[in-house]
Amino acid sequence: MSTDVMSTTLRPRLAPRRPRTWLRLEHVVMGGAIISLIVLVVLPLAFLLIGSFKGADGVTLDAYSEVLTGRLYVNALKNSLLLGAYSGLFSLLIGLPLAWAVARTDVPAKPLFQITATLSYLSPPFLTAIALTYLFSPNAGLSNVLMRDVLGMPWLTFNIFTMPGLVLVTVMHTFPFVYLLASSALQSVDASYEEAAQILGASKLRTAFLITAPLVAPAVLSGTLLAFVNAIALFGSQAIIGLPGRIVTLPTRIYALFDYPPEYALASALSLVFILITVAALYLQNAFLKRRSYVTLAGKGSRPQMMQLGVFRWVLLACVTIVFFVSIVLPYATLIAVSFSKSWGLEFWKNITLANYKFVLFEYNVTQRAILNSLVLAFVAATLAVLMGAVIGWIDLRTKLPGRKLLDYASLIPLGLPGIVMAVALIQFWLAMPLALYGTLTILLLAYVGRYIPLGVRAANASLRQVDHSLEESAQILGASWTTTMREITLPLIRPGLFAGWLLVFVPVIQELSASILLFSSQSITLAVAVYNLYETGYIEPVAALAMINMLIIGAAIWLAYRLGGRSLTSRNDAAPVHT
Amino acid sequence: MAGISIRGLSKSFSSRDSDVAAVADVDIEVKDNSFVTLLGPSGCGKTTTLRLIAGYITPDRGTIEIDGRPLSSPGSVVPPERRGMGMVFQNYAIWPHKNVFENVVFGLKIRKLPSASARRKVEEALALVNLSGLETRYPSELSGGQQQRVALARSLVVEPDILLLDEPLSNLDAKLRERMRLELKELQLRTGITFVYVTHDQAEALALSDQIAVMNLGRVQQYGTPFEVYAHPANRMVADFMGLVNLVPGKVRERSGAGGVVEIAPELTVKVDALDAFAPGETVEVAIRPESIRLAASPVPGGTWATISNHVFLGNISEYFATLASGLTLRVQTHPLQQLKVGEACTIEVDATHCSVFRAGAGEAKAA
Repeated sequence: MSTDVMSTTLRPRLAPRRPRTWLRLEHVVMGGAIISLIVLVVLPLAFLLIGSFKGADGVTLDAYSEVLTGRLYVNALKNSLLLGAYSGLFSLLIGLPLAWAVARTDVPAKPLFQITATLSYLSPPFLTAIALTYLFSPNAGLSNVLMRDVLGMPWLTFNIFTMPGLVLVTVMHTFPFVYLLASSALQSVDASYEEAAQILGASKLRTAFLITAPLVAPAVLSGTLLAFVNAIALFGSQAIIGLPGRIVTLPTRIYALFDYPPEYALASALSLVFILITVAALYLQNAFLKRRSYVTLAGKGSRPQMMQLGVFRWVLLACVTIVFFVSIVLPYATLIAVSFSKSWGLEFWKNITLANYKFVLFEYNVTQRAILNSLVLAFVAATLAVLMGAVIGWIDLRTKLPGRKLLDYASLIPLGLPGIVMAVALIQFWLAMPLALYGTLTILLLAYVGRYIPLGVRAANASLRQVDHSLEESAQILGASWTTTMREITLPLIRPGLFAGWLLVFVPVIQELSASILLFSSQSITLAVAVYNLYETGYIEPVAALAMINMLIIGAAIWLAYRLGGRSLTSRNDAAPVHT
Repeated sequence: MAGISIRGLSKSFSSRDSDVAAVADVDIEVKDNSFVTLLGPSGCGKTTTLRLIAGYITPDRGTIEIDGRPLSSPGSVVPPERRGMGMVFQNYAIWPHKNVFENVVFGLKIRKLPSASARRKVEEALALVNLSGLETRYPSELSGGQQQRVALARSLVVEPDILLLDEPLSNLDAKLRERMRLELKELQLRTGITFVYVTHDQAEALALSDQIAVMNLGRVQQYGTPFEVYAHPANRMVADFMGLVNLVPGKVRERSGAGGVVEIAPELTVKVDALDAFAPGETVEVAIRPESIRLAASPVPGGTWATISNHVFLGNISEYFATLASGLTLRVQTHPLQQLKVGEACTIEVDATHCSVFRAGAGEAKAA
């Protein structure tokens, strides 16, 4: 390519190609994302705050004084904290040993540990709760009937409608938070830290206490706090188990305030108290997690040593088998059995039927509508959340826009909002607007996108961080415009991450109950709400069938995620120098 | 072809509590068809300068012009995509989702070249960097050196007037680096493209450049040919950075014409050619390259006695540390066949024509 083959077509164009316009596509896209975030999250929160001070005549603190002193509310607060504390504690007691066993010992059947944690995490807690009531409701529960009336061992009966029952159902869902954070921390501790202690004369046990434990403690504590935050936010299990047992918690108390006549000010004030607890816990959690950063900095990460457990490893295996049985096999076997039985009871296996599935899928228009609504909502909400996440992540990482950090923080606010609180905020905001959104699919969509926008931002952020800025810059210097660079370079490179994020939003939206329960109408009913309502009205067997359909949709989405995500992650791109 | 003139270029980045000047008052004239290197330790502002030339950053002060056309000034910056330059990044920035052909053809597609001639040009460019036949490979299937060549081909295929290279050889192993160095130089001569090259490796800079801008603390410390910056460093930072040097304190003894005599130890004085700025009695610092000192086992007239205190054999040269009776130790490089033992006495002789004298304690030009 010497000078003589230089063609005139390739001369540089130092002059602008087209007149500069003040409004470019990138500005429209960025502006759109910012405005959406404000409408979805910031304004509803502002109206929640305003609403909590609204009295019959002007501004007042009445709602707060009622919420902080009234017996009903203090009781709910106490129950929520108690439930959170117990759930955190038991999550720690189950999650940490399992994580340690997998990461640091020669325990057999490690995949079983992983599967137990993953499935427990993915199981919607309100479905597990329903499943367990089939077995352990005090009078009709199958297991209780069996123990009391058939085997004559009444001391083996268990009443699920109690605080221990509620904690049991909750912990099944929350122990994976401790497990996942603890095992990733344990795995990322560089073995050379421990080897360095040992060469200096420390025994294995001393090394574990003096070196490993302090390194992973922040991650473990942060996992425990996440378990706490998630435990107190679960509306479904607290309504299904708590209400019959007269254990009222914050979400169920807020829910009750919407019985006619709705008490908006009280609900708002109680919601803000709820937010305060959640945010405080998340703040602590974040502070702990920041302290573990030195673990991940460890770099090359040689393989950690595996402790020889001897006979004790069979004990651990037995423990995980029990957890697997109680949190996976028992609820799902029960749901399957109930869904196929004509009438649930000791002799259910004598009349197996498909009638329940036929009923919810083909005969009952409420459940049909609910399934369709949920599928459409999950599809649209996941797409919007991920697209907004991509733009917000891009603004944060790739532009110098003033206030971009603020934008990033704003997009994380929903993490501190329990679902039901999000619903209260949306109701307060949209009731004040001239648009009649209440009870429509749109308000549900707004709730879902708003709730799960942090997942979209996080997925986009993580994938964008993997794409070195120079990959975009090199397209730019070759003459590519912003749009071309996005289309040709950035989007193709972050697509696998965005798709994973899409499924991360899709799965929880399909099973969303906490916010939907306040926002739905008979036309906009969703899958989870339909399950809850059928359960409440006593349709025992069809509920199980609908629950199974719910699980099948989730299962299909996850299977898809593994299939597609797995392929794109192991494809040709992974060894390329994208990380620098 | 194009020359670049950079005048008064400054850029600060705001850190947590203050503004840090990354580049301050940089003036560089790059001649057409030349190979210019920005050389300096990490954090010296060389990469910032390169990114200012590319248009990724807007300067706070100063201008960048190409053939008299202004490209960058605080008020207006022609964006990178309209500069028609090429750039090779330190990490190559080869797109992992595109194969070799797709990577290289990208710039031609942007320029809307018909696909037949684009294909021909890609083939030419790949031949130029010895990558013919690898069109359908993906970056992950290429070695570091091959990825490097793809990056080069991708930049060259659009026939830029100016090619910017940001430490392009730093991720390669020593042998390959050596070879790519030769190929880069040859490529520059053959294409006549103006190369602006950033590196922290002084050997690389000396081997490749027509002109070197030695940078430190955001400022250009010296701008000259490789010989000038090596043999006549403008200040002690440049002397120190351009290879090994003995920096020893001294005192001006006498002046004669432009030069004079400087005493660096009671028993050792050197006659220096250029001593303009200094008066007798002034304290100075003398930079003596290790290869400018000769060792002899037997007494030499005009030589000074010393003892060998340490010895390092490096293969192509031998390095000795000679300690004078007054305690001063000098690093000396000799022919590897000259054999002296540690503890042995010897005489040393300093070739004063290659010494530089600086004001004592005077640092380099600093960014404000």
